[in-house]
Amino acid sequence: MNYIDTVGFGADIGGRGFHLPVDISVRSDGRVFVINRSPMHRRGIRIGICDVTHGWYGEFGSDGAGDGQFTGPTAITHGPDDRVYVADEELNRITVYSPDGEFESKWGEVGSAPGQIDGPSALKFTPEGDLLVVDHRNNRIQKMSPEGKYISSWGTGGSGEGEFNLPWGLDLDSAGNVYVADWRNDRIQRFSPDGEFIDMFGAHGDGEDQFNRPSDVAVDDGGFIHVADWVNQRVQVFDAEWHFQVSLRGQATVSPWAQEYLEANADELDARSRFNPYIEVDTDVPHEVSARVEAYFWDPIAVEIDPDGRLIVADSLRHRLQIYQRARK
Amino acid sequence: MTTVRARTDYPLVAHLLRRAGFGGTSDDLRDLASLDYETAVDGLIDAVDTTSLPDDLIRRYHIDQSDLRTRPSAGSYWVGRMVTTDAPFIEKVALFWHRVFATAQTKLIQGKVMSTQIEMFREYGLGSFRDILVQLSKNPAMILFLDNQDNHRDAINENYGREILELFSMGVGNYTEEDVKECARAFTGWTVANTDYMALKMRNNTMRPYGYIAWQFKYDESDHDDGEKTFLGKTGNFNGEDVIDIICEQPATAAFVARHMYHYFVADELPVPQWPHFPPKDPEAIRVMTDAYFESGYSIKAMLRALFLSDSFKSEAARYARIKSPMELVVGTIRLAGGYQRPGTDVYQATAASGFMGQDLLAPPSVEGWMGGSDWISTGTMVQRVNFASGIVGDIGRPGIRKLVDEIKASAGRDATAEALVDSCLELLGRLDVSDDTRSGLVNFATDAESSEPASRSESDQDHLITSILQLIVATREFQLV
Repeated sequence: MNYIDTVGFGADIGGRGFHLPVDISVRSDGRVFVINRSPMHRRGIRIGICDVTHGWYGEFGSDGAGDGQFTGPTAITHGPDDRVYVADEELNRITVYSPDGEFESKWGEVGSAPGQIDGPSALKFTPEGDLLVVDHRNNRIQKMSPEGKYISSWGTGGSGEGEFNLPWGLDLDSAGNVYVADWRNDRIQRFSPDGEFIDMFGAHGDGEDQFNRPSDVAVDDGGFIHVADWVNQRVQVFDAEWHFQVSLRGQATVSPWAQEYLEANADELDARSRFNPYIEVDTDVPHEVSARVEAYFWDPIAVEIDPDGRLIVADSLRHRLQIYQRARK
Repeated sequence: MTTVRARTDYPLVAHLLRRAGFGGTSDDLRDLASLDYETAVDGLIDAVDTTSLPDDLIRRYHIDQSDLRTRPSAGSYWVGRMVTTDAPFIEKVALFWHRVFATAQTKLIQGKVMSTQIEMFREYGLGSFRDILVQLSKNPAMILFLDNQDNHRDAINENYGREILELFSMGVGNYTEEDVKECARAFTGWTVANTDYMALKMRNNTMRPYGYIAWQFKYDESDHDDGEKTFLGKTGNFNGEDVIDIICEQPATAAFVARHMYHYFVADELPVPQWPHFPPKDPEAIRVMTDAYFESGYSIKAMLRALFLSDSFKSEAARYARIKSPMELVVGTIRLAGGYQRPGTDVYQATAASGFMGQDLLAPPSVEGWMGGSDWISTGTMVQRVNFASGIVGDIGRPGIRKLVDEIKASAGRDATAEALVDSCLELLGRLDVSDDTRSGLVNFATDAESSEPASRSESDQDHLITSILQLIVATREFQLV
């Protein structure tokens, strides 16, 4: 994987940039929709639209429980018609927007009965146009219609095959198989399009075949599996047979938006010219290392593959996206 | 309910729990009272945290408590620990050091470095005072709070050199102005990595472009004055740790730390600036602690153990002799109410409430910390205290309150008189002692509030009556004391 670029800038009260991004979705034309979950800065809660070449196309949504608003947004995805679907784990509902972010409808009812949800944490459409919802506090995956009609579900709480412990993100491969980041079981589980268990990979730890609270997974056209290994502060890449490929730690650079800011603040630009971004840290706790080294991922929370095969990592505590691309062979 | 023979009297155990922790439930009291007092003290001070919510769960639901950038985020994270831990003494001691080594996010801007300092208090706060001072001197939050990044070999800044003597170890009157300068020279070169950029981001109050970068201690040998120094009568090429060794040898240091402990754990003392001019309230308590300090090699835990076992601490006069700090009131009330099995937003409200009562966590008003004592009470803060506590104990949906009400019902009996109900409430609310006047007022309230004879009262009426009594109790003068 080659590092390509960094997109973003810390913007905690809205405007061009991000604040605590938690999920991303790429529209069919390549525009990137970014959820900003900004709990203590309510003006920062919104969905921003950009592209991977630093274009900025505005934002929509805001803090609240009204139509088109959210209080605990966790997940975003685009439908086959480019409509936008956003999950809210606090309001327990899915909000539907037009491709440009106009509010259209909402659905969802809290509970554990079929069709009810408790803490939706990830959304993805199947090739057939059904919506998969990670219903994380119910430890299950639910298949729903885009209008919220229950179709089927699988999973229960536990650590056995097909069981979950507070699952978080998910993705589908080109065959429609479903990959779930089984967060507190420290593994990725793979299911058939109908939810039949296929296999699982990972165990608790920081080795090459281990995870510490994986928060998301993304599968590219070549079947390569990218895992946001959240507590380990890295993205791990495997082939379709779970052979380890590479581990990414993050290597962010100053984005054009960030550069504009520094050039408008001469004292910071000057001090930054003497700034050593890769200091020798006095801790081996990944979260603390990331807190000290700005270029590293700090809570890489979501991964997505764009139509051109680029890997986009939501680097949440650094308010930016880091972009990678698989090396051509 | 299992009946266990009490080996220590309940009022003393309740006193210990209030001071070494945040008070206790009836279960806590019963457990501790089954032990002899010395074993109970050791159990409390040796406890290791096993019940705090794990960081991964907190960070998933409160992403702002992962970067801990803001004061509400960092403060709420700490309140969460205080509320959920089964080793409250560690948090109480961290609060103690936060008050003595007052460092404020209002200047530092980023909350993470404050949280890191509090974590240091958890790790070192009961160990050797020498280790605490070394860690404090290397603590990035303290370095930038007292400007030691501007303390250079060719141009000293004596801010930290002065405060470590005046406020953190010995107190005014036990050193000279020359000692202050020599102390500052010893700490030259004690700074943080990327000093310029880190200090500038703090001064400019900006998280841009990519959030704050956590500070890290750096010893810059090239900026350290390695020349000969004379400090408190000793001469040598002292570095910061050498100076700390000399500080820790001083009887004045032991007495100063002991007086702070007495002020925090036993009874309100005079404000620190008056200490050079007035003797301690209880010289015997100070002697017990200073003896333990030297006998144990400067151990803070040994000092506090000696204090808790002393007659000064155990005496009737020491009970309810202090006014609860806002944090003691807030955390104690929430712990009573229970229900923090998963991360919630209540910790933010609790943190804010403490601020309204006059104690903004992580933002002490000056380098001398909070004065405490009667400063905690004003018309406005009293209203905040009562509103907060009555809101919590009046919410029967909270598991701890539900359990408390059921226990009161079981203890008082179905046909309980108003007197019996009030006494049960006081008993199960952490064995609260109240004056005859207060009890009489509570009984009058309970009598007036009874809308029907006990036998014909519905369960929900009974619940409402009991929570109303509890709400009135937390508004009493006695509940404000610890």
